[in-house]
Amino acid sequence: METGPWTLWGREYDSPLMLASGTAGFGLELMEMGMLAGVAAVVSKATTLLPRDGNVPPRIVETRYGLLNSVGLANPGVEEVLASVLPAASRLPVPLIVNVAGDTVEDYASVVERLDSSPVPVGYEINVSCPNVSAGGAAFGASPSTVEEVSRLVAAATRRPFSVKLTPNEGSMVESAAAAEEGGASAVTVCNTFLGMTVDWRTGEAPLKRGVGGYSSPALLPLTVARVHLTRRAVGIPVLASGGVGSPEDVLELLAAGATMVQVGTWLMRRPGAALELLEGVRELLDGLRGFPDGTGT
Amino acid sequence: MTGSDRPAGVPGMIRDRMMSVTRRREDVPGIVRLELQAGPDFLDEASPGRFVQVEIPPGPFPLVRRPFTISRIGPSSFELLFEVRGRGTEALAATETGSSLRVLGPLGRGYALDGGRWLLIGGGMGAAGFPRLCQAADCGLAVLGASSACRLTDLSGVPCTSITEDGSSGRAGLVTDLLDGVPWEHFANIALCGPVAMMKAVMERVPPGLSGRVQVSAEARMGCGWGVCEGCSVPAAAGGYLKCCTDGPVIPAGRIDWERWEGV
Repeated sequence: METGPWTLWGREYDSPLMLASGTAGFGLELMEMGMLAGVAAVVSKATTLLPRDGNVPPRIVETRYGLLNSVGLANPGVEEVLASVLPAASRLPVPLIVNVAGDTVEDYASVVERLDSSPVPVGYEINVSCPNVSAGGAAFGASPSTVEEVSRLVAAATRRPFSVKLTPNEGSMVESAAAAEEGGASAVTVCNTFLGMTVDWRTGEAPLKRGVGGYSSPALLPLTVARVHLTRRAVGIPVLASGGVGSPEDVLELLAAGATMVQVGTWLMRRPGAALELLEGVRELLDGLRGFPDGTGT
Repeated sequence: MTGSDRPAGVPGMIRDRMMSVTRRREDVPGIVRLELQAGPDFLDEASPGRFVQVEIPPGPFPLVRRPFTISRIGPSSFELLFEVRGRGTEALAATETGSSLRVLGPLGRGYALDGGRWLLIGGGMGAAGFPRLCQAADCGLAVLGASSACRLTDLSGVPCTSITEDGSSGRAGLVTDLLDGVPWEHFANIALCGPVAMMKAVMERVPPGLSGRVQVSAEARMGCGWGVCEGCSVPAAAGGYLKCCTDGPVIPAGRIDWERWEGV
């Protein structure tokens, strides 16, 4: 296990923590709040070719042990992101990785090509796994051959590194991870939210308009640990863990399972300053530690 | 710079801090009033209509914070007023005097206080933020509705007409039953807060030409409270959505697409 500094794509970080896509915007709000300490890099909200209003509300509903969301990739579109968001994000004290989503296989490369005209993104996260849209989204991530195709197109469109964010909901994540590597991806993000649903048993109705949504919770940690472990054994590129982090021990568990970096997401809804709290906890735990397993052979 | 110097509820520095609960009252079962100790750095920003996100102890579930309007402020404290409705408010209601809560805020945009007299129209717990508005603005009349008399928000000092669904304060009915005699044109500002269906019914009664005076304190299921999760969407008249947490929670009525708004 890496005990720091942590290295991704040739950059060295004194924290293993990234902010997960969709839970921190482009990092600007947290910067204003003075809460980016402890953050290695921000992964932005998804950017698509055209603006998207997002899904009809309500878009979030809390269940007993987690959160369901159905935001539907609401974003102003790549041109607006280039015109106003990225110039503001140039003031971020940490690197920005822009998450990219698409309705078609070709969309991803088109968005990345446009984003490449800005000096701000240090890399991209290719979202082939959103559970909350009818076109594209998780449907791409379900097929290893599509994942490979998207990866090839993106690799041809940019010289910047990119991670492919995989879906746990359909297909084989491990095969998709290998396909992403084959297609030229520089990392895989393991993984997106789990397809979930809640129903009011009195009325039979689902509070979310689309019925289903993406489920996230600290309770999901073992599901992410398992997927990081399995993916780590299948690919040589970095594995970025995403899902279930709510404590310093969770971060270390994901690193021990083979993650190169760890994303914190939904926990920011509870603790916007989570990164620094988690990092301080991680350092404290590591100070008392020797000879931790490296995760690759376990 | 203090909240009062800043134009129209523009947010200042948002902080996350532990705050002591200095008083807990539950005069009516299920309606809880918590007083939290706060310094000037918080109170200067606690303009009417703004809110806080309170972490539900002891955690980690309920996972996300719960948003509450700032009901009233004192020299070194502020109050939250809420009804126990679910797991979050139930856990929060169990908070004891002397314990601490983690509070993020003040958040959002409050009422635009441009001078002039206010008419307040509130339904149920929607009136929870009106005491704070009355502290800062010239409130000439409040029209309040609630399910029963004990649930009417106390706005002492402000002329008030009220109605309850069960008739426990006299007449039985809805807020809209009280709007016939309202001298709308006497008020430069109208504050509206309550269930979306109630607010829609009120908006239909606002005289033509005066709807521009209405400022709506909106409520939505909220994730972060600071503008990033896109969870708390309110349909915008201009198309797309507003974020309740950062475009609001107080939103000029004309910016809302009332047809599409279904509420919480």
